[in-house]
Amino acid sequence: MSLNTDFMVKVAQTAIQGVPVTLQIVLVALLISLPIGVLFALIRIYRIKGLELIVKFYVSLVRGTPIIAQILIVYSAFPSLLNMMIGKAAFSINPIYYAYIVFTLNSIATLTEVFRSALQTVDKGQMEAGLMVGMQPRQAFWRIILPQALISALPNIANATLYLIKNSSLAFIMSVKDITAIAKTEAAFNYNFLEAYLVVWVYYLIICYGAEIIFNLLERYFSKYRRSAKRTTGFNWNPFSIKQPKLVVKTDLAESERTNNAHN
Amino acid sequence: MLTIEGLKKGYEGNEILKGISIDVNKGDVISIIGPSGSGKTTLLRTITTLEAADGGHITFAGVDKDFEKLNGKDINTIRRNVGFVFQNYNLFNNKTALQNITEGLIVARKVKKSEAEKIALDALERVGLSDRKNHYPSQLSGGQQQRVGIARAIALNPEVIFFDEPTSALDPELVGEVLKVMQDLANSGTTMVVVTHQMSFARDVSNRVIFMADGHIVEQGDPKKIFENPSEERTKKFLTDILANV
Amino acid sequence: MDNIKLIINFLGQLLPAINITLIVSLSSIILGSLLGLLLAAAKMSESVVLRVLARVYVSVIRATPSIIMIFVVYYGMPMLFNNWFHTNIDGWNRMYFVIIALTVLFSAPASELFRSAHESISKGQMEAGLMVGMTPFQTFYRIILPQAFVVALPNFANSVVNLLKEGALTFTIGVVDMVAKAQMIVANNSGGYAWQTYCALALIYWVISLAVDKGVSLVEKSYQAKRKTIAV
Repeated sequence: MSLNTDFMVKVAQTAIQGVPVTLQIVLVALLISLPIGVLFALIRIYRIKGLELIVKFYVSLVRGTPIIAQILIVYSAFPSLLNMMIGKAAFSINPIYYAYIVFTLNSIATLTEVFRSALQTVDKGQMEAGLMVGMQPRQAFWRIILPQALISALPNIANATLYLIKNSSLAFIMSVKDITAIAKTEAAFNYNFLEAYLVVWVYYLIICYGAEIIFNLLERYFSKYRRSAKRTTGFNWNPFSIKQPKLVVKTDLAESERTNNAHN
Repeated sequence: MLTIEGLKKGYEGNEILKGISIDVNKGDVISIIGPSGSGKTTLLRTITTLEAADGGHITFAGVDKDFEKLNGKDINTIRRNVGFVFQNYNLFNNKTALQNITEGLIVARKVKKSEAEKIALDALERVGLSDRKNHYPSQLSGGQQQRVGIARAIALNPEVIFFDEPTSALDPELVGEVLKVMQDLANSGTTMVVVTHQMSFARDVSNRVIFMADGHIVEQGDPKKIFENPSEERTKKFLTDILANV
Repeated sequence: MDNIKLIINFLGQLLPAINITLIVSLSSIILGSLLGLLLAAAKMSESVVLRVLARVYVSVIRATPSIIMIFVVYYGMPMLFNNWFHTNIDGWNRMYFVIIALTVLFSAPASELFRSAHESISKGQMEAGLMVGMTPFQTFYRIILPQAFVVALPNFANSVVNLLKEGALTFTIGVVDMVAKAQMIVANNSGGYAWQTYCALALIYWVISLAVDKGVSLVEKSYQAKRKTIAV
């Protein structure tokens, strides 16, 4: 028994049609959840009454439950919910919309934590300096704080994106025709599952490495201000760079340390 | 020009400032000295509204009010008429030296970009850093960063510039360049209030020295008198201690 | 109100299957940590080959969806064993395949965690230990390890919760865990009460995650309390 390479080539050809679907899910989820993530992070940082509790609850719930449970809940609850609102048309909705919903809801929670820790890494003095040259707090936030926070968040946004790409491989459960779904159907004819999944694996590796390279370039481009003068800027990115998600940051400690320092 | 009366400030039950009154006249160069924890930094931060005071009165730039009654407009007025030089420089990390200076002019003062750049270049010239205008803070030494910080403050042409221990975070060999810039400023008639541990600056450059301890002003007056013939025992002890350690 | 009653009812039906989840998670955490330890050693080893291999391994795992890992192990291992060792493992308990897949997945973050924890403890600590006459092992055990433990703890908890969530994919290869059970309940009700059933499922996972977080923060607090008493 060995691998059926002809079949693998065939799967590779058909499954590639699923790549745009996967990318679409990832991009839609990312683009919607990025601004909402910033907003939620601000709600947490500025401790906005009422809302803070809701955001905290939401993040904890989403991060504490498996994506598969979230998929099953959304996929079972939303159609009947929509049915009540728009009638029978609800059942003919393209399932990819359910994928958008699940993965957006999921990414919002991840990105809220990412931005919360990123915003807290920006030194309090940056805001104070902004105020002391006469800016309004809002102006200082948009022009000074947020750009720095976004850049320092880039590695963790990359992690969140990778996480999202990988999770999107579960969209087939909602009968979305993504890479995994197509390969699975192909494999079912002759029970060539191993071959099919090896091909899918390669596709995911390519997509993930592609995303990682893009984020590396973004980081390189945007963090020009962090480079010290002595270092030369050779092109030495490395696709095997490993940065494990560092989403748990003990921010409370950092916060109190900072306020202590401020007292003279 | 700037008058503070009975300024009070506490943190969590600890009184840091126990009723401070200060008069700053145009052209004054005032040095505030004293042991750490005496409230010097807090004093600057409350006057400039970076922190809310618990009590006291301020008369400055058309504002004549108790601190608790300052509204958003008053706070803006105060902030737009002061300059602040931070201990940790606090240059905007994502902006070049030049942009650090133009940012406030363009965003807060609505100066035209070309005009702002002209002002900024002049300011950089005054601190001797015209050649570093396109460098980011991370590419500058601590001393250079602080000089940009000073340029940022003077470019706004404020009524008074506050310096919060401007040389404390610097390596000893970089202190000189910053003190030199400050001395030039003082000579050009800029009104300055400087919290400092540099006794040479306090003695030789300022026209008035304030000695603070435990949230009070213990003694103030002519530098010559304070350093050579202090009337209070605390001042005497502080000066002998600090001069012995230099 | 009816919904809440339903959810509570479903909770009761799902909970018996929690064993599978716990067995799978605990085994993979233990085995994955051991593998991660080896990987961390490889990453810090003198040998360039080992270092590169470890990095490539971790990087590939990082880019692999858990479901694909589970499928590849499930379908690939029997073939491997057949070809190389001429043994038939088709009869294995399917749980083993999940445990193997999750072990491989967990080893990558675990290795990174161990490495950074080790690096966060300064070399001076080891040198100081040696200089007061402890052996390298004593220094490691009494000085380095307790410090590294505290440093690694929060990230370790994070990885554990992630693993727990990935473990919810066990059902995809036909093991009857809580997710599979939930789907059966829904099927038995002809698709009725689906979201209530799945909410009950999510609730169980949420409670476990919260418990892990709580446990870790308690341990951390007790360590910090110790430090404080020493400092005073």
